[in-house]
Parts: sequence; structure tokens; C-alpha cells
Amino acid sequence: MKRALTTGCAAPALLAASLSILPAILPAGPAAAAPFACPSRGGNLVFGQEANVNSLDQMTSSTISTRNIAMNIYESLVTRDENNKPIAELAESFEESADRLAYTFRLRQGISFHNGKPMTSADVAASFDRYKRIGLQRSTLDNVAGWETPDPATFVIRMSKVQPTFIEALSSFSVPIVIIPAEHKDDAPQQLRPVGTGPFRLVEFVPGSHARLARFDNYRPNAAFEEATGFGGYKQACLDTVTFRIVTEASARVAGLETGELQGVEDIPTQSVEAMRKNPNVTVLPLKNWWIQIALPNTAHAPTSNLRFRQAVQAALGMEDIMDAATDNNYTLNVGFQYPNQPSYTDAGKETYNINDPERAQKLLRESGYKGEPIVILTNRDYAPMYNAALVMQQQMQAVGIKAELKVVDWPTSVQMSQKVNSTEWHFFHSGWGTQPALGALATMQFLAAPGANYRPRDDKPDPEVEAAWSDMNTKPTEAERNAAFARMQKLVLERAYAYPFGSLTKVQAVRANVQNFRPFRIPRFSNVWIKP
Amino acid sequence: MIGVALRRVGSAVPVLLLVSLITFGMMRLIPGDPAAAIAGLSATQREIEQIRADLGLDEPFLMQLLHWYGGLLQGDLGRSILMGKGVVAVTFERLPVTLGLSAYALVLTLIIGLLAGIVAALRQNTAVDQLAMMFAMIGISVPNFFLGLLMIILFSVRLGWLPTGGYIPFTEDPLGWLRSSTMPAISLAMLQAGLLARITRSTMLEVMRQDYIRTARAKGLPARQVVFKHALANALIPITTVVGIIISLLLSGAVVTEALFSIPGIGGLLTQAVLNRDYPLVQGGLLLVTAFLVLVNIGIDMLYAFLDPRVRYE
Repeated sequence: MKRALTTGCAAPALLAASLSILPAILPAGPAAAAPFACPSRGGNLVFGQEANVNSLDQMTSSTISTRNIAMNIYESLVTRDENNKPIAELAESFEESADRLAYTFRLRQGISFHNGKPMTSADVAASFDRYKRIGLQRSTLDNVAGWETPDPATFVIRMSKVQPTFIEALSSFSVPIVIIPAEHKDDAPQQLRPVGTGPFRLVEFVPGSHARLARFDNYRPNAAFEEATGFGGYKQACLDTVTFRIVTEASARVAGLETGELQGVEDIPTQSVEAMRKNPNVTVLPLKNWWIQIALPNTAHAPTSNLRFRQAVQAALGMEDIMDAATDNNYTLNVGFQYPNQPSYTDAGKETYNINDPERAQKLLRESGYKGEPIVILTNRDYAPMYNAALVMQQQMQAVGIKAELKVVDWPTSVQMSQKVNSTEWHFFHSGWGTQPALGALATMQFLAAPGANYRPRDDKPDPEVEAAWSDMNTKPTEAERNAAFARMQKLVLERAYAYPFGSLTKVQAVRANVQNFRPFRIPRFSNVWIKP
Repeated sequence: MIGVALRRVGSAVPVLLLVSLITFGMMRLIPGDPAAAIAGLSATQREIEQIRADLGLDEPFLMQLLHWYGGLLQGDLGRSILMGKGVVAVTFERLPVTLGLSAYALVLTLIIGLLAGIVAALRQNTAVDQLAMMFAMIGISVPNFFLGLLMIILFSVRLGWLPTGGYIPFTEDPLGWLRSSTMPAISLAMLQAGLLARITRSTMLEVMRQDYIRTARAKGLPARQVVFKHALANALIPITTVVGIIISLLLSGAVVTEALFSIPGIGGLLTQAVLNRDYPLVQGGLLLVTAFLVLVNIGIDMLYAFLDPRVRYE
């Protein structure tokens, strides 16, 4: 028996719920309500983006700045909805074989690329070919033996071994397998010609300056939905053009929004938020859970190799102060490695979080045999939240008698240092996990598993119990079992102080008041956004 | 003269080779992993290692150096790691933007700096002199970033006269270019104008005390002729030297201004390349910018002979 998944009006929820067990064939039903229609068409929107974009090759770039633009141009077979659950996008339906070693995707009909060519399974296969060759996260296809195109509307993936989480991995938006015309499959890395199937097509791209997109008139929305959801759903381009202008200076973004030169911006600095709220021409849109602020110990090097010492540090930390400094008071406290609004969120290990008990810390410190040696906190200034969090962590550690020092380098250097096996140069490494937690527990916990577990175990050999939980997260057949394994892994990691997640950061976006239906998400989405005349 | 120019160009070759070697070595000496920078914030170690292998960054230092000089001899400066395009193409996309902005700022610098310096010298120890030098001090003291922000608030947010940022190419819309480049050019020019005003003033004061100026005045020449034909012409040699330095400073100062006003110039490109350890782009881009500056300085040297016949290049 084959188990099939489709997307109808109720299908997204069912789809996600059934991903683990794929219980039955779901019929593709008609949409229950009228699909979204643009209340007003036309207008040009200019969006101030904080980070530079070097390339729009979505297969070879994991940067947020590339994704912001490219995911308005490209689409994939499967993607994520508003709650980051997998949904079909260019696929109309997909089914898993009884032996779980094949996935058959039926493609939506009438889809064409921005160059006018109709999309067929040959294009999908060519896209997978390119991704397998140069895609940044081509490890997604490690368990894939190959793919076939039995007819122009069907694409089949054959697995070399069963991977219950395959659809979850395939629908990742971190570096998605976007579908491109077959004739572009040999484009060099970072040089992919920007032709997709999305509601907007690229008109002009000047690296370092701007990217201008225009409505793709032949776009066919996904009729299985009524509204846009996440990266997919029923999408329509109401605007004539959208221009992403690179404005790296926060004050310049705010000024641009005030004058109306920019109709939307990301990352409003905290000191400007209040003024923006009072401005009747501006709508402020906080985007909670943008990333998890985190520090990781080097467990290959004394004294952070000592569990008691790591627990002493854990007991000393007060998360409100750390997050306040890191985010300018734009944060949410939460335990662990998922955001509280996610289905896989668990507070397992909560007793280790936000203890802020100096006496207990000092007691644990004495038990650890700490002799006052310098403790190096590795951080950077490229990401201000990481530097500020490290600064407060240093003070809190000093308050309990730990001789904590900051080592400030730039981000590439700190990553390089943190990845060295058996390094003696640092004890704590500051980072931020954004995209992976949003993708789910599986994407996040790979940071804490071999190879390259971020707590840097001696000789790169992670804790066997943590690894066992990680293995269960990947191989258990049902979602419930995998979630239980995640809870076990989180609890182990927190109890053994292999990571110190401080809380999650809120990113503040804003648009002009006449910009309608702009909903903050992990990318600025311009489908179904319209300008009030 | 042509022979002199060719000899100067020839002598620039070792300079460029040395610059390229220093840049190559420095980029490898500083810690930091280009693969980590490309992979972004949320990359796993496995992905970073994969990128490193893809880019050939695991090759020995000497092999990388040989590849670099081998390519250089064939006019190939490599491909930008971040952008996937040829370094020459990427640099020549951005260099004209910065050169245009710097040229605009240079014109403002010369007008403001020379005028303020000459007026201050001619009205030494008067209120005009004090005002001009106060203006020069403000230009030198106020960081161009801060000045730029103040101008955005005044001319864009309050008055709505000029755009807050962005760039319009001159070839597309000359008036649009002027509007988008005016505030950046002023913020770049103010520091240099302040320096030039002070140097022009002191040079002019020295020249104005020379005997031949006194003689020219005694002969009854009009003041304008004394100042512009005799005094300024002789003061131009040190001023020209300073202008050569100012051109270099304008190019390097453009980094901050470009970031503030969202201008896609070479300053921002190279800064980003350094921060992301884009080795080929830093090496090639800096080499091209250095070559340009060497040419500017050769041009300034040639100008000496034109301005002062006493200077001989035999």
C-alpha cells in the first residue's frame, strides 16, 4: 500500500500530522473559502534590507539576506507553512511507498518559469542534479539513491535507506532545493540565473545596492490553499514591483521609513522603536523568536571539561540580564532549543535554566576544584547581541569568583577557533541559532551531535547518551517517538551543561501604515501584500 | 616627458608586486575561515568543511601563492568566493561608483578648501580668517559618519530635499546622481576641505611674504593678479602634493560614507571581502585600487613639471 499526502483546504494540518505515520491517502479537496484576492493591485514597494546580498543563487547560499529576496522568486517541491510544518508547494501531492524507500511527487499543472517555459519533471530532476553537485546542504540527499521522471508530471525519489525524517529535511528553507529550468543546471556556484516559478520575477540585481522584482503575470497560485502560509500557500503578487534596497545602517533605515522612501524595513534599533510606534505613518511589527542566544562550553579543555564547573557557571547565570543586554530588551525567556510556539517545544531540563543563584554556583565551584585559572569567553563584535551577552556572562561569572576574560575576535575567526578539535584557546563560545531552531528540533540538535558537536568534546567524540537520543530523533518511525527523543536529548544536554541557551531574540520590522497584509516572518514576504490607495 | 612617465610606470611594477605579496600573506596570516563566513550563522561544521573543500582552501600556502601569481601573470585575478564572479569584473562594477563619488567630493574639497585658505590668508588675523579656520577645524573634527547622519536628519527627514540614501548611476540619470551623491560627497569632502584650507592658508601666507610678491605689488599690479598669477601659482606645488594624498584619503574614507548612504562602491565591497575572508577579492581588488593610486601619484609627479618649470625630469 502506498501512503499519499496532498494539500487541500484542511490538508496542511493533516499533512504535518501524518508525516510520521502516513496513515492513509488524503483526497485533494477544494478550498473551503474563496481564495485571497488582491484588494488593490499596483504600486512599488521599497524594502530596506540590513545585510548585503552577494548572489541570488539560493542553492549555494545559506545567508538570510539571499533568502529574503530569492524566496520571493523561487519555489520548491515542498516547503514549510506558517508554523514551519512541511507542505506541498510545486508538488500537488506526494506519496511514500510501502517499503518507505520511494517518494512519488505529482507536480502541479500549468506552472511556468519566469522565462515562459512550462515546468516539468525534467526541470525538477535537473534541479536535484545541480543541488546534489553543488548545493550547500547536499547532505540532505545523502540517503537518496537517485530520482526518476516516469512522465512529465511525476517525479520519483528512490532512497538507499529508510529515513523517516526525509520530507522534513527536504522541506527545509535553510538552503532549499529550489526548482529551476533544466537548462540552468550547469550554472556555476553563486551564478545561477535567477529564473524561478514564484510570484515575482527578477528585473534587476545590483550587488551591494538593490534587487528589483516585478510581478510575474503568468504565476499560477496554489489552489489547494486560500491564503499564503509560511513560504507557500495561495500566493499572489498584488504589487507591481518590490525593490530590496541594501541599507546597512540602522539609522538610515529608520530615516528612510520616516520619509516614506522606504515602505518597509527590517531590524529597527530599540532606541527608535518607541518613536516609530508613535508615528501614525508607520506600523511596527515585532518578529518574536528570531534566534536563540547561546553559549557553548569547550568540554575538551579544563576546567570546562569538568561537569561541576559547567554546572557552577549554569547556576551563576541570570538570563534576564543577559538577554536584556544582548537584545536591548527585545527578548523572550525560554528553555531549551525550540521556540515556545513550536509543536516540538519542550521545557525538559527547565530546572537548569535561569538559576541565578550565586551561593549554589560558589558551592559547585568549590566541588569542581576550580583554582582560579583564567576562563576565556570567545565572542565577536560582528553580532552585537553575542558580544553583549558575553559581557554580562563575564560579569556574572566574576561575581561568583570565576576569573572570566573576554576574547573578542571577528565572527569567521571565532567560528574557526571554536571548531578546532581539543582547542585550549577558549572555554565558552558565543553564538546565535536562528534558522535551524525555526526548522525544528531535528535541524537544531545536529549542532550538538557528531561530527562537530558544538560543545567540542575531546577528540570530537560526543557523549554516547546524547548520541543515542540523537539517533532516536532521526530513526524512530513516529513523530511522537522522535519528539520524546528530542526531549530526552535536550534534558541531557542541559543537565550536563553542554550548552547555555539564554532565550530568544525579537527582531523588529516595520512598514508604512498604507502597506497592508505584511506579516512578519523569517523572510519579508511580498505575496498578498498590497498598498492601500 | 613620455620617457619619464614610462620609467615611473616601470618603477611602479615592484611596488604592485610587493603590495600583492603583502596582501596575500596578510590574508593568510589573520585567523578566520572564509568557509565559515560563507556558510553563515547557522551552518554546521560538516557544511563548513564541505565549502572549504569545494573552494580548495585546504591547499598548502605555497601552492595557493603559485596559483595566485600564475593567474596574475596571465591577467587573471581569480574569482570572488562570495560572488562567484571574476575579481576584475566585480571590481570594475564598483570602482566607478567610488571614483565618481570621490571626484565629486574632490571638486567640493578644492572649491571649499582653496577658497577658505586663500581668503583666510589674505585676511589674516581678521574675523574672516577666524571664521574660515573655525570652519576648517569643524571639518577636521566632526566625523564624516556623524556629519552624514546630521545631514540625513536635516535635508531628508526634516526638509525632504534629498534622498536618505541609495545610488543612481550618472549614466542613467545625471540629476538623480547629483541628488543621491550630494550628501555623501559633502560628508566625505568636509574633512579634506578643512585640511586643504589650513595648508593653503599657511602656504599662501609664506608665499605672500616673498620678495617677488612685494615687488609685484610695488610695481602696481592689481591685487587679483598678484594673488592668482604670482602667489597662488607658486603655492600650488605643496598644495598639489596634498591633493594627491587627499585623493587616497577620499577613496579610503568612502568606506564609511558608502555604508551610511547605501552606495555600492569599492569601499564597502572590499570591507565586506575582508570581513568574509574573500581572499581573491581582497588580493585582486586591493591590487587594482593600488594600481589606480600609483597612477594618480605618477600623474601628480608629472603635474609638478607643468606647474613649476624649475622641476626637471631628465
